[in-house]
Amino acid sequence: MALFRRKKTEIAPVEAVRGIPMAEVPLRTSVTVCGKVTRMRTRPAHGVPALVVTLRDETGFVTAIWTGRRTIGGIALGRTICLEGVGTKASDGITFMNPAYTLVK
Amino acid sequence: MKIVIAGAGSVGRYMAKQLAASGHTIVIIDNDASAVFRLQSTDSITSFQGDACEVDVLAASGAAEADVVAAVTGDDEDNLVISLLSKQEFGVPRVVARVNNPNNEWMYNEMWGVDVSVSTPHLLTGLVEEAVTEGSLVRLMAFDHGKSGLNEVTLADGSPAINQTIGSLQLPREATVVAVLRDGHVVAPALDTVLHAHDEVMVLSSGDCEAAIRAALIGSK
Repeated sequence: MALFRRKKTEIAPVEAVRGIPMAEVPLRTSVTVCGKVTRMRTRPAHGVPALVVTLRDETGFVTAIWTGRRTIGGIALGRTICLEGVGTKASDGITFMNPAYTLVK
Repeated sequence: MKIVIAGAGSVGRYMAKQLAASGHTIVIIDNDASAVFRLQSTDSITSFQGDACEVDVLAASGAAEADVVAAVTGDDEDNLVISLLSKQEFGVPRVVARVNNPNNEWMYNEMWGVDVSVSTPHLLTGLVEEAVTEGSLVRLMAFDHGKSGLNEVTLADGSPAINQTIGSLQLPREATVVAVLRDGHVVAPALDTVLHAHDEVMVLSSGDCEAAIRAALIGSK
C-alpha cells in the first residue's frame, strides 16, 4: 500500500520536469509545479513537527507541508524544486500536503 | 453534498440512511460484500465493495469530488489510513474519523488528515458524568482539535451563579452561555436571564478557560 508518496530524490534537469504556472493550479487535481524555495519553517502541529515550505514562480506561490519532518535533505532556501500532488485551498493560498518532490538542477 | 462513508457496519449504514434522508449523495465502501449489499442501493446511496485503504478504490468511489469523507470502520488503523489518503491524495475539505480505542485518540489529528474525530467511549463517559454529577464541569463534546468544546454545569445549591443574571456572571471572554435547560425546557439565554438552582447551563468555550468557568458557575468548594 502506497501510504506515503515515494520520495523522488534524484536530481532532474529543469527541462525534464514540466510544471504548470502556480497561478493556474487547479484545486483537488494532481498537478506538478516548479519553483524556488523562498521560505522554510518548522511548525509544531499537535506535538509533531511539520516542515512548511513556500515555493514561488513568476506567477505566484504555493505552500508545501511535510508532516513528521523537520528537514528534508536537498530542500533549502533558494533551491528550485518541483512538487507533485493535490492542491487544496488554505487560508493563505494553495497548500500541498506531503507532496512528492524532485530536486532540480 | 457528496459524502463518502468508509465502513458499512452498523454505524456506516445508519449514517448513510440518515444522511441520504437529509438529501445528501452517499457512497458507502466496505471490504465485505455482504455488509455492502445489506444496504440497498437507492438513488442517493451507492454501495461499493473494495478496500477503502487503497487509493484506487477511493478514487473510484469519487473521493476527489467528495465534500466529506467519514472513516467509520471498526479499525483505528484503517480509519487513520483512510483519513490520510483522503486529505493527502484527494484534498477532501472535511475528514471525519471514528475512534474505536480511546488509547488511539491522540493520533487523530491534522498529521493524519483528520479534521474531526468522534470517540464513542469519550462521549459515553461525558454523558454518564453529566447524568450523575451536579455542581461540576462536564465536557460534553470537543471540536476544532480539542481547542473548543461544549461544557455543561448543573448548578448546585451553593453555586455563586444562582439568582444572578447571565450578564453579571464573570465569564471569560472565550466562553459564552449557549443554552439553559430548566425542567426539561430550553431557555434561550439573554443577558438578563436569571439562573436558578438545578439549571443545566451549556457553555461553549475555546482555549483554556475551564478554571474561570468553574469559578463563575461552581465557585470554590
